[in-house]
Amino acid sequence: MKIFELQNLNAGYRGIRVLHDITLVINEGDFLGIIGPNGAGKSTLLKVLSDNITPTSGSIVFKGSAIGSYRRRALAQQIAVVHQSLENILPFTVYDFLRLGRFPHQMLWEIESHEDRSSIEQAMTMTGILHLSNRKIGELSGGERQMVRIAQSLTQSREVIILDEPITFLDINHSIQIMDILYKLNQAGSTIITVLHDINTTSDYCSRIIGLKEGSIFVDGPPEDVLTYQNIEVLYDTVCVVYENPLTKKPQVFPVPAHVKE
Amino acid sequence: MKGKIFFTALILITGIILVLSLSMGTTFISPSKLLALLTDGEDTVEYLIIMKLRLPRTVMALLVGAALSVSGVLFQALMKNPLAEPYTIGISGGAALGATIAVVSGLDYFYIALFAFISCTLTVLLVYTLSIRRGFGPTSLILTGIALSFILSSGVLLIFAMTRAQQVHKALLWLMGDLSLARYKTLGLMAAILPLIIAASLFYFKHLDVISFGDTFAKNLGVTRRDNRNIFWIASLLAAISVSMAGIIGFVGLIVPHVMRFLFGPIHLKLIIASAVGGAVLLVLCDLVGRTIAPPYQIPVGIVTGFIGGIFFLSLLITRGDRVQ
Repeated sequence: MKIFELQNLNAGYRGIRVLHDITLVINEGDFLGIIGPNGAGKSTLLKVLSDNITPTSGSIVFKGSAIGSYRRRALAQQIAVVHQSLENILPFTVYDFLRLGRFPHQMLWEIESHEDRSSIEQAMTMTGILHLSNRKIGELSGGERQMVRIAQSLTQSREVIILDEPITFLDINHSIQIMDILYKLNQAGSTIITVLHDINTTSDYCSRIIGLKEGSIFVDGPPEDVLTYQNIEVLYDTVCVVYENPLTKKPQVFPVPAHVKE
Repeated sequence: MKGKIFFTALILITGIILVLSLSMGTTFISPSKLLALLTDGEDTVEYLIIMKLRLPRTVMALLVGAALSVSGVLFQALMKNPLAEPYTIGISGGAALGATIAVVSGLDYFYIALFAFISCTLTVLLVYTLSIRRGFGPTSLILTGIALSFILSSGVLLIFAMTRAQQVHKALLWLMGDLSLARYKTLGLMAAILPLIIAASLFYFKHLDVISFGDTFAKNLGVTRRDNRNIFWIASLLAAISVSMAGIIGFVGLIVPHVMRFLFGPIHLKLIIASAVGGAVLLVLCDLVGRTIAPPYQIPVGIVTGFIGGIFFLSLLITRGDRVQ
């Protein structure tokens, strides 16, 4: 099934066009990694998909209907978004914070149904944060907090999860934990769309990679087709070599430092 | 558990202060005598003092205190800023200008309140329209509010500069926040409307939790622009009605939510209820202090809240250091 269909889409902010003529189909079960240099429009593309900015022209269809025709609550029940950071952090406990993910599913006065409770507990188990349940989110480490935010998105929706740089600033242990969880979710049927800066992690986990350059789709395909040195050198304007990861058999990209370029 | 103890304590304190508020004043009427008076003492002077002066004044303090505190809670969530309060967006400035015009024109209490209400509703409307053009974010709200406040307070000072001293004094008393004019006629309307609006704010208790974490965060959880606007108008109306009736009583909308957040945590269902009770009792207490501390003078309640609120806030900052948030 087609989850998203973008047709000749242009989008931007205050007259500055960031995305140019994007035509794209995202299917159910995709594990899509979006890569590209800073300023290429990766975050903007996510904002379009999560209906946070309206395209200036072109169309975006979510599950067969124009995304603008959905009520916010209906979208929130199906699409969970993990932003780069929270605007403000209140001293909520981890458990209370996760319950906010249930907001679009609840009635006006409902505080916590049986279903809410099991969904929260399941999300905590899956992300391994049960022991953090009563801690305040402001007191957690960066890695723990990111795990909590992933868990919250699971309480909200497992259908479509959109993440903006979920592992930037995390150590390799937390990075791999988060990517493993996303992989497991994808195996169980979730559609995952994520912007990543680490090309090699993208290659190891994603089934499909889109390279954005100056607001347009530069390459789109499985890691083996996208991550060739010819593509990456043009995409990032950087000299690279590509090897295969001996375990995952996926291509790995290594930029070449200036002092060995001779 | 801790919350329940605090809440029981809060209710107990409220009861004690309510009784004190009725018995203390220029004439002391002992609490034990209160009940006797209310059952069969209808012709006595004490009965008149209680029913015509102290009771309406106490009820007004309860309502205004609750409304200002809840309004503060809502504005703090909307602006993601624990230092936001009803007056940040220029509500006080608007009310001050309207009331000053009415006072210097020699109009009576009803018209002062009416002018204040119209003028601050227009101010809120202006802040709303101007900031909506810039996305209705916290920064645009605060900046527009501050800019308008300057213009409005200059307007008040301009009127003062062109008016006789006696009228200026009268207007100043109003600006300081004054509960001495509380009478049943105007109180009835307030008593009907304010609790309803406070109840309406409870419809949004979960929205407020979500909004506090950020606008994009809230949007992706299903909070709409209309929800934001409704909360804004609920908060504004609470403050506008209070200020129009009782003058500019500062610090309540800031200090009460702050203390309640410390006692009951950041979740808005508890926070709104606790702030309503806490704000109500704080204002009754401040008014009680104001009218008993320096007889024969009655010190306007706004001055008392300013002193108590300011000192309390400073001590909190000093003792709790950076944990104040």
